[in-house]
Formats: sequence, C-alpha cells, structure tokens
Amino acid sequence: MIMNTQFKKGVLELCVLVILDKKDCYGYEMVDEISQSISISEGTIYPLLKRLKKEGLLSSYLKESSDGPPRKYYRLTDSGKEKKEKLVGEWETFSKGVNNLLNSKNEELKEANDE
Amino acid sequence: MNKEEYLKKLAELLKDLPQEEREDILFDYEEHFNIGMEKGRAEDEISKALGDPKSVAKQIKVEHMIKKAENKPSASGMLEATLAAAGLGVFNLIFIVGPAMLLVAIILGLFITGLAVIFAGITTILAPLLQPLFPKLINMSSDAGVWGTLSVMAHGAGLTILGIILVVLMAYMSKWLYKLMIKYLKLNLRIINGRSERF
Repeated sequence: MIMNTQFKKGVLELCVLVILDKKDCYGYEMVDEISQSISISEGTIYPLLKRLKKEGLLSSYLKESSDGPPRKYYRLTDSGKEKKEKLVGEWETFSKGVNNLLNSKNEELKEANDE
Repeated sequence: MNKEEYLKKLAELLKDLPQEEREDILFDYEEHFNIGMEKGRAEDEISKALGDPKSVAKQIKVEHMIKKAENKPSASGMLEATLAAAGLGVFNLIFIVGPAMLLVAIILGLFITGLAVIFAGITTILAPLLQPLFPKLINMSSDAGVWGTLSVMAHGAGLTILGIILVVLMAYMSKWLYKLMIKYLKLNLRIINGRSERF
C-alpha cells in the first residue's frame, strides 16, 4: 500500500513500542505481527529500530534460539515506556477526533437522503 | 536477488559507515533472511519484501549522518550530512546546497569585513604615532595639532570597536546557522521520505 508515509512512519513507531511493551521481540517477529494488521515494507523496520535504540527508547540483547544462531531481541527502556504512553494517548485523541468527524459527515448525508 | 547478493550490495552501500555500525545493521538483515528462510520463504521473496537495498541504505545513512552532525558540531560532519541528504536527489541538491552556500558566503564575507574594520581602526590609532617614523609611508596633515591627532585616534578606536562587534556577531550567526542547517536537513529528509519512499 502506498500512502502518506510520514503518517505511517509515526504509526509504525507507535506499533513497535506497543508490541515491545507486551514482550521482548526480535525484528522478524515484529514485522510479522505488524504485517498482520497493516501492510509495511519489511525493510523499514530496522532503520526505525536503530533510531529508537539510539534515542534510548529501546535496548537490545542477544538470546540463543532453539534453531540456528542467537537472535537479537529488543526491549523497551523506561523512557521507551513513557514515550509509548504519550503516543498512545495522542493516538486515541486523534482517532477519536477523526471518527467524530466521519460520523457527523455520515449523519448529515443520511439526513439529506431522508429528506 | 538472493540473500548473499542482497547483503553484499547493502554492505557495499554502507561502506562509509563505521564498521561497528555497519555490522550491526547487516546482522539485523541477515537475521531477517535466516528466519524468513526457516519459515519456508524464498530468498528472492524476502529481498523483495525488504525493499531496494539502495533506499534502505540511504535511509540508514542519512539518519546516521544527521545524528553525527547533531552530536559533534564540525564542518566536515555538516558537509557529510548535507551530501548524504543531497544524495537523495538532484532536486534537493539545489535546495540544500544552494541556500547553505549562500548563507556561509554571506557570514564569511561579513566576518572578513569585521576583521578588516578592526585592522583599519588599529592602523588609524597608530598612524599619528608611526607617522614620525615613516613620514613617507603615512600621509597626514601635520598642522592638525594635538586635538586633531586625538580626534583621529578616537575615530580609530571607534572603528576597532565596530569591527569587534561585527566579528562577535558573525561568530554567533555561524553557530545559529549550524543549528538552522540541521533543522533544515531534517525537514528535507522528511520531505524526501514523504515524497519518494514506499513505506
């Protein structure tokens, strides 16, 4: 899907923080989980993870896996948790606002049709 | 493109990055391939889903350079960040490098003017004192008297102060310009990413 990328990028950051708040993940796992809900280009997640790590919102560690070489897991730091709360709050306000707007438009249309 | 080709291409595109950083990134992408293949996906399919290594590398490089310029203010860091951002398109080359060069030239010009004014001021102060030593070199009306000489020296002092103010002002300006440039590069990065990059 091609759409406003800046918008989607902000959303992707929110998604990563929310997923990592539930449990530590490796990159592929996150891509898998996000892809189930929204379509993303898989390559974009790694530069994002790198940036979030540099900003101190995430940390990473290696963990052995049952099959193959160790995997790099990402974990949310305290400031990452704070940021997540902030972004979730912003998102809720934003989506509520947009939904209100959409609903009122629909009602207007309905009223116009009824008349 | 198979896994080996993709990683090799990415490594080549990121060769300017510090080794540690590059290996860190390549580790992520190699891991992505490995896990994907374990899940039965074809190498070709994974590299397609990851996106063109060129756009991946650009994204990483620009963020790296801007971070670097932010952390360590230096002319070369700024230049690298500018070039990395400019590398994203000729269009942006004009819009980043053009204004930047103009501003740098203006500030540099005023800075040199300041230095010249200081020099002129000091010369003016010293002229009455040096005149007896080099009468041929310095041409002054000798009938000005003590007050005339003092007024010339006061003019010199005024010029010197003016020059110093100009130089200090330009030093602040260049600091401010540096910050502005980083902001500008970030803005450009946003525009570029929004315009041409598939999410």
